[in-house]
Amino acid sequence: MTALITLKGVNKYYGDYHALRDIDLTINAGEFFSLLGPSGCGKTTLLRTIAGLEDVSGGVVMIGGKDMAGVSANLRPTNMVFQSYAIFPHLSVAENVAFGLRRRSDLSKDDKARMVEDALSMVGLSGYGKRASHALSGGQRQRVALARALILKPKVLLLDEPLSALDKKMREQMQVELIRLQRHVGITFILVTHDQEEALVMSDRIAVMFEGEIGQLADPETLYRRPNSRRVAEFIGKMNFLSADVLALGDMIEVDVAGLGRVSVQAEQAPMALHKGAAVAGVRPETLAILFDGETTDRKLVDGVVDEVVYYGDMTYYDVRVAGIDQPLNIAMKNLIGRPVLEVGVATKVVWDERSLVLLA
Amino acid sequence: MSLRVYAIAYLIFLYAPIALLPIFAFNDARIIAFPLSGFTTDWFAALMTNTSLHTAVKNSLFIAVMTAILSTLLGICAARAGAMYRFPVKAGIMGFIMLPLVLPEIIVAVSLLVVVVQIFDMGLSHWTIIAAHVLICTPFCIAILNGAFQNLDPSMEEAAMDLGESRFSAFRLVTLPLVMPGIISSMLIAFTISLDEFIIAFFLSGVSPTMPVYIWGLMRFPAQLPVVMALGTILVALSILLLTIAELLRRRGMARAGVKDKGGFL
Repeated sequence: MTALITLKGVNKYYGDYHALRDIDLTINAGEFFSLLGPSGCGKTTLLRTIAGLEDVSGGVVMIGGKDMAGVSANLRPTNMVFQSYAIFPHLSVAENVAFGLRRRSDLSKDDKARMVEDALSMVGLSGYGKRASHALSGGQRQRVALARALILKPKVLLLDEPLSALDKKMREQMQVELIRLQRHVGITFILVTHDQEEALVMSDRIAVMFEGEIGQLADPETLYRRPNSRRVAEFIGKMNFLSADVLALGDMIEVDVAGLGRVSVQAEQAPMALHKGAAVAGVRPETLAILFDGETTDRKLVDGVVDEVVYYGDMTYYDVRVAGIDQPLNIAMKNLIGRPVLEVGVATKVVWDERSLVLLA
Repeated sequence: MSLRVYAIAYLIFLYAPIALLPIFAFNDARIIAFPLSGFTTDWFAALMTNTSLHTAVKNSLFIAVMTAILSTLLGICAARAGAMYRFPVKAGIMGFIMLPLVLPEIIVAVSLLVVVVQIFDMGLSHWTIIAAHVLICTPFCIAILNGAFQNLDPSMEEAAMDLGESRFSAFRLVTLPLVMPGIISSMLIAFTISLDEFIIAFFLSGVSPTMPVYIWGLMRFPAQLPVVMALGTILVALSILLLTIAELLRRRGMARAGVKDKGGFL
């Protein structure tokens, strides 16, 4: 893994507003990297400072070992797919894709035409070159924007919420195509998104941002299973939070969890520094289960009463009230053969396991 | 039903006087009165031979063309800044720029006359009129160009820069073609306003009057009235033509930028 982009102490101010706070970040060559966070967290600003569309107020941006200070967007080895796609409406599809080749006097007209056709076929738009760009559908515009950015073979492709304007089906299809495309061209992709599912599906690594800072930087599985703070845990997926009392620290952590009782968990289940005393135990809905009639388990059980049922077709989400826990536990159950959908008010048993707990301060 | 009567009466009130222009321009009588006596093109022929009128028309055309170019250039700068950048007290600045729209022309005329003659001690020339016309036309240009620039996605220009173009060539290659219909329509409007503007031209013109000022001079001679009618007919026809072109270009610009028409300046 070689570092392609290095950010050191990057700060950005808009007047008094501190948009980026001391960002330190290394992005590797050939990586699919995502900047994930709620709107206004600074992820797009960070992307634009890499592109050169925003100046940094302080700190260093290096791409391929070169300091990018004073290098404007048109001279950086980055290309961008804009959220609005920014397809030039007065140019045809082929003219849009060829736009970045204007300054390449070393290429003949035939070379350029061939490169445009290659770029279009790469995004599945062979033969669309002559079409007027304003007559394209949302998905097609996005492909044109991709082809236009990739024709220059940049070191980094920057994608600013590229899928947010598409409907759900199209979005899922484009996610798969983007992953395939990234593996095919081997270019570093940096994706900005507020959709945690999208980031988990597509990325090698994800930086979760809040209020101009990186909250956690990890691969998708670590991010999901071992969030290092409550806000990361809340932002990514669903999680039940139970109040807990840390009794002893060490290789194993002794903890008393509200409603579940006293357990001892692995030290790695506490991704952030803990102290003795009050803490929070997080548990994902799919790591809990309801024990249906006729099923058995050797795991731990706790009694509860069904409080709410939400039926999703493939899944049913239950809220189950358990003595000693303020909020009902959210439990996700696959609707397997023979499993009934329980009704509100039914007494039930909740299956749980201390290995799925995450301890947070 | 009564609403329809009202609407028809209103339209007659608006357009009947203008409809009289071509009628009397072709009427074979020196006195403007019904019944009409016969058809003639003499008054148009008289226009062709009147050299002082020709000079006045040339003056007006020069002033109108310069006004159209200058006020549209200023308008482009203001509209682009307004649409693409955020800066302190933007709303206040934009408001002040638009103020001449509601400023009485007589005030502008008198105050400019004082400034030019008393303070700067300069002579009156075409350029003093052009300066004043730019002042009153620029807000109209900004109003039209604002529409063109605000419909423009700011990331268009950024995308062009990202693809290797400098800031200026990004503007030339992407922004300019997209706002060109707005620019032409702004120039046409400024041209039309300047061409028939009277009060400022009357106060600020030097020895050589503009066309509206010259026409006003003609009015003192009742015998010349049909000639004025003929000139008026030509001007009305030209105005309608120019404004139609301006509106068509504005709509084409909207369609090209892929925006639904939200009703425009006209």
